[in-house]
Amino acid sequence: MKDWPSIAKAAAPDIPAKEVSRYSQTLDSLEEIFRPLADSLTPEMEPACVFGAGQEQA
Amino acid sequence: MTIGEAGGALRRRRYSAVELTTSALARIERSNPTLKAFLTVTGDEAMAQARQADAELAAGKDRGPLHGIPVAVKDLFYTRGVATTGGSPIYRNFIPQEDACAVARLKSAGAVMLGKLNMHELAYGITSANPHFGAVTNPWNAKHSPGGSSGGSGAAVAAGLVYAALGTDTGGSIRIPASFCGTVGFKPTYGRVSRRGVMPLSWSLDHVGPLAGSVRDAALVLQAIAGRDAGDDSSARHPTVDYVPEDEPVKGLRVGFPENFFFERLDAEVELAVRGAIARLESLGAEVRPVKLPDMAALNAVGRVILLCEASAVMAPHLKNRDQFGSDVLALLDQGRLVPATDYIQAQRLRKRMVREFAQVWSSVDCLIAPTTPNTAPRIGETTVKLGGHEEDVRLATTRLVRSMNLLGLPALSMPCGLNGAGLPIGLQIIGPAFEERLILRVGAALEAGGVGIPRTPLS
Repeated sequence: MKDWPSIAKAAAPDIPAKEVSRYSQTLDSLEEIFRPLADSLTPEMEPACVFGAGQEQA
Repeated sequence: MTIGEAGGALRRRRYSAVELTTSALARIERSNPTLKAFLTVTGDEAMAQARQADAELAAGKDRGPLHGIPVAVKDLFYTRGVATTGGSPIYRNFIPQEDACAVARLKSAGAVMLGKLNMHELAYGITSANPHFGAVTNPWNAKHSPGGSSGGSGAAVAAGLVYAALGTDTGGSIRIPASFCGTVGFKPTYGRVSRRGVMPLSWSLDHVGPLAGSVRDAALVLQAIAGRDAGDDSSARHPTVDYVPEDEPVKGLRVGFPENFFFERLDAEVELAVRGAIARLESLGAEVRPVKLPDMAALNAVGRVILLCEASAVMAPHLKNRDQFGSDVLALLDQGRLVPATDYIQAQRLRKRMVREFAQVWSSVDCLIAPTTPNTAPRIGETTVKLGGHEEDVRLATTRLVRSMNLLGLPALSMPCGLNGAGLPIGLQIIGPAFEERLILRVGAALEAGGVGIPRTPLS
């Protein structure tokens, strides 16, 4: 799990510490699903920066 | 009355647009103190538009099915000369100089604009309990939430204050209020309706669409607002078609019944009502097939990462003044600032892969049918809901079955399919391939014609 208080201190120091601890569990739950997905990406997969529904359909 | 019925009455001179508008304004005056659906009522402008609509019809100029029909829009659509707040004090004094593309198209189709509808603050939430402008209430039971973020749109349509309304949907914000208020709500394909002049929440997830009293009415509004707009970078070049369903049979249509995810952790009455509608569709000749879907929880997670980052980027210039935000919205904006840019990029890469994977579903079925929300409208202020024996955060539970379609950009229609024991509406969702709005509307209309639906609210 990530150290959210340290991340907040560096990236968004104006967020009160008690608020960060309130968010930590929600962010941890999201991280738990998201991280393995992100780690499964291979280099050739490009981002959907300009997204057009239907363009990717077979 | 539906839009079709009201339009017929206008053309037979049984009613005038002025009479329809006067009657709608009287209903708003009567109901809005409780419903809090309207933030701004533009009565004088509406009456002027109605008089013009009557004069045009008398002179033989007919703009089509929306001519003279009273409608309203969520208060994040730019309206020329009329305050547009986004449900936030930040924009309390913002008066746009132009109409949003969708608003301009509605006006050009002859619709009469009654005003601006209340919403969840900045469209970032599902309750529409706006801390700055008041909590929208559910026309079926004022102690319950109308859903959100287009809660004013859902409540206004359900209460019969307007014939249709525009909403936006970034993670279910059209379909959730449609489900909770018992209206039809349609999120079209990403890019089908222009986002120009719509306050953004998340550029790559925001969709514009109608809420209306029937599937056909939703199709009539979509017909008016859909189509390429060079002023919106994401506007699709895909041609529009005739969206309005005309009693077309569904015999032989392959309808997918999700084997995984969509029927897990549901309220029992919701499950019963949706399964009943599926059985009805089968009895109408559709071929209902079980279908295994990709990992939908993964899609939701990726959608949440993108939304957190984009919304915090949108609101970054305002985050220095933390007291301008309600606590729930501020919490989400804070969380978005803690997600690294690399994760946003990974999420957009995963999105591309997921769109490809999900497209395989359409090789075996033409559309999917599922519940819109696993629950019915919670009480105002309720923060958790118990589903399948598990206590869940009400926002995450309510968005669980809708959010993925924003990530995929696919069209999805919510329509009512029953009332629970407490008299609250239950919604089902029809999902289709990109730009297959016509097919989805055809299925919805067949269900409606087959008796799937609910009575109008006592308020209407």
